[in-house]
Amino acid sequence: MIVVENLVKSYNATRVLHGVDHCQQRGEAVVLIGPSGCGKSTFLRCLNQLEVADAGSITIGDVTVTGGGPPRNAEERERQRRLRLRAGMVFQSFNLFPHLTVLQNVAEAPRFVKRMPRSQAEAAASALLAKVGLEEKAGAYPAQLSGGQQQRVAIARALAMEPEVMLFDEPTSALDPELRDEVLRVMRQLAEEGMTMIVVTHEMQFARDMADTILFFEGGRVLEAGSPEQIFTAPVHERTREFLRRASTR
Amino acid sequence: MSNAWRLSRGSFSFLVFVLLLASRPPPGFCADHLQTIQARGELLWGADAEGGAPYVYPDPQKPEQMAGFEFDLANALAARIGVKAKMVQNQWDQLLPALDRGNFDIILNGLEITADNRQHAAMSRPYYVYAQQIVTRTDTMGPSDLDGLKGKTVGVLASSAAQRLLQRLGAVDVKSYPGNVESLLDLKARRIDVVVLDLPIALYYAKPDPALKFSGEPFSPGYYGVAVRKEDLSLLAAINQALEQFIRDGTLERIYRRHGLWDDRQAALAAYQPEAVVQRKSISTLREWPKYLPLLLRGALTTVALSVLGMAVAVVTGLVVVLARLYGPPLMRWLAQAYVEVVRGTPLLIQLFMIYYGLPQIGLRLNAFLAGILGLGLNYAANEAENYRAGIQSIPKGQTEAAQALGMTQAQILRRIVLPQALRFVIPPVTNDFIAMFKDSSIVSVITLVELTKVYGELATSTYDYIGLGLMTAGIYFALSYPASIFASRLERRLAYDRR
Repeated sequence: MIVVENLVKSYNATRVLHGVDHCQQRGEAVVLIGPSGCGKSTFLRCLNQLEVADAGSITIGDVTVTGGGPPRNAEERERQRRLRLRAGMVFQSFNLFPHLTVLQNVAEAPRFVKRMPRSQAEAAASALLAKVGLEEKAGAYPAQLSGGQQQRVAIARALAMEPEVMLFDEPTSALDPELRDEVLRVMRQLAEEGMTMIVVTHEMQFARDMADTILFFEGGRVLEAGSPEQIFTAPVHERTREFLRRASTR
Repeated sequence: MSNAWRLSRGSFSFLVFVLLLASRPPPGFCADHLQTIQARGELLWGADAEGGAPYVYPDPQKPEQMAGFEFDLANALAARIGVKAKMVQNQWDQLLPALDRGNFDIILNGLEITADNRQHAAMSRPYYVYAQQIVTRTDTMGPSDLDGLKGKTVGVLASSAAQRLLQRLGAVDVKSYPGNVESLLDLKARRIDVVVLDLPIALYYAKPDPALKFSGEPFSPGYYGVAVRKEDLSLLAAINQALEQFIRDGTLERIYRRHGLWDDRQAALAAYQPEAVVQRKSISTLREWPKYLPLLLRGALTTVALSVLGMAVAVVTGLVVVLARLYGPPLMRWLAQAYVEVVRGTPLLIQLFMIYYGLPQIGLRLNAFLAGILGLGLNYAANEAENYRAGIQSIPKGQTEAAQALGMTQAQILRRIVLPQALRFVIPPVTNDFIAMFKDSSIVSVITLVELTKVYGELATSTYDYIGLGLMTAGIYFALSYPASIFASRLERRLAYDRR
């Protein structure tokens, strides 16, 4: 369902992705791990076109974006937007819209991107808020919520567009340990429901429990890929072993 | 009581004494201002050389030098009392207050000998007999006498005899101009029907212009005289003596003939008999506020209309400019930035002159009110664009990314996410600008609009109560701008979604 071929990305002279390939089935939960600056976040942002790759192709569902560089015309812009609609994104810093209430945050895109009637969009938004356990906060503004609550709203907001894949970019890194669990619980629930997911995280327990596949990134390449069993108990590469040892003693 | 206190009180009263001496010498002290002038070696004469031909104006051949019949007369007068003449530039309708302040010794600049002017200064015997001339466009059948002006839009020089004449006449839409050239420009631009002005000005500026013609004979003759401060009696006597001599020995006739200004009316100069001056008591406009406040409020109405509409133009145009600058294709970005830089980097006054007097020359004729709104609005649009830019760029990048990730288009992101958040940051500087424009709008008086400050100026020069009227005017400005700033801070609080 997701096919990435030979993805290349540089910032100025520095190459951060060296031709990454990736293939993922519907319902599969993939976790990206690796040291800081290894390219895993950039890879995720490329999937959603927040970064535009220099070369390679990305297919999600029935939309394919090929070639490098920003869109040059209306048709390419529209294709980029359609690719984005296939993927929902959750950011490390939540990025909720501070001028809208929680309910409006969730209903905004369905109303204005999908042109859903307001009542219908808000009903759907309420249901999603119930799913992440925040229906009583519908009328609050983001600034009135804790970080964990904000991130759960952000997940509901992404789900509201009914994406085929959910992308999580270090969703718990900005949270205090006691707030992480409520976010991880929502993510577990999504994985169990069969949501296709790609998660960039440092939460090794989550990776171990929930991932179908783990990709170990290093130096802009996928150094090793495999099931949690394989990666955690019998990593092939010395670098993987070293990273996991450091991560577990941290 | 301590010594220090006594000492400081002593030096304080000494200071007051010195200040009193410096600010206004008592009359007896300075009775011989003539001697002061002779000791100084210079007679300072106040005049306005902007559009000042044929009285006094920069010589077109040698622009660093002055020319004009009053320039020649001033030199002759100065020579007669044994000094050199030196002109002091001063806006024409503010000559009398400036004389009073001591900026120069005499006014020699087409100042009419009228009861009004004699309230404020001592006037010499006349040195020229002027009359009023009606000027119209060549292609129209204009009125040829005073009664024919009723119902017309008539341009005059501010504070001139023509303005007083027409205001007494009533039923005339009088537009007053800061100089002589502007009214004729507006006549040619068809914004007004006729111009009434002193004959010498008409001879110099209107006669040679094929687009303009004299309509009817000159009327309402009057005298120009030299004005001196009332206490400078010896100076006045010396000037009168000199003028009498010039009339007798033909010096005046020679000067006037050289400038093409000699006519039969000048015979009356020799036979002049001064009338007695009736002293009028000074006016306290504060005590008589019911008479003056409504006039000021009517001016305030124009000020409000100008700044509200001007700001509307600025707010909308500024948005267009900032969107072009931030999101347009390269050429548009460049144009928008050039607009901001050029408009911010040039004076509003020049922009107004170009819109009002310049555009008609390329066929676009706006009335003064529209030109004022456009001038203020387009000028402030540059500031608003910068305010918006600061506001838009203060919105974190994550907001745009989150909206992009949801599949929103560029336009949707702007309208639904970025601009609503930027609004809050933009309200305080835009309110500041609104209040600034409110006060800046007084500059439009240069294109004949009569707003609050202009009304103040007109009333103050006729009543001489600069302080009383000033307090009333400042009070009106404050009463109008303060609610605007209260409204803005309320709005700002309402939009503070992150501090609830």
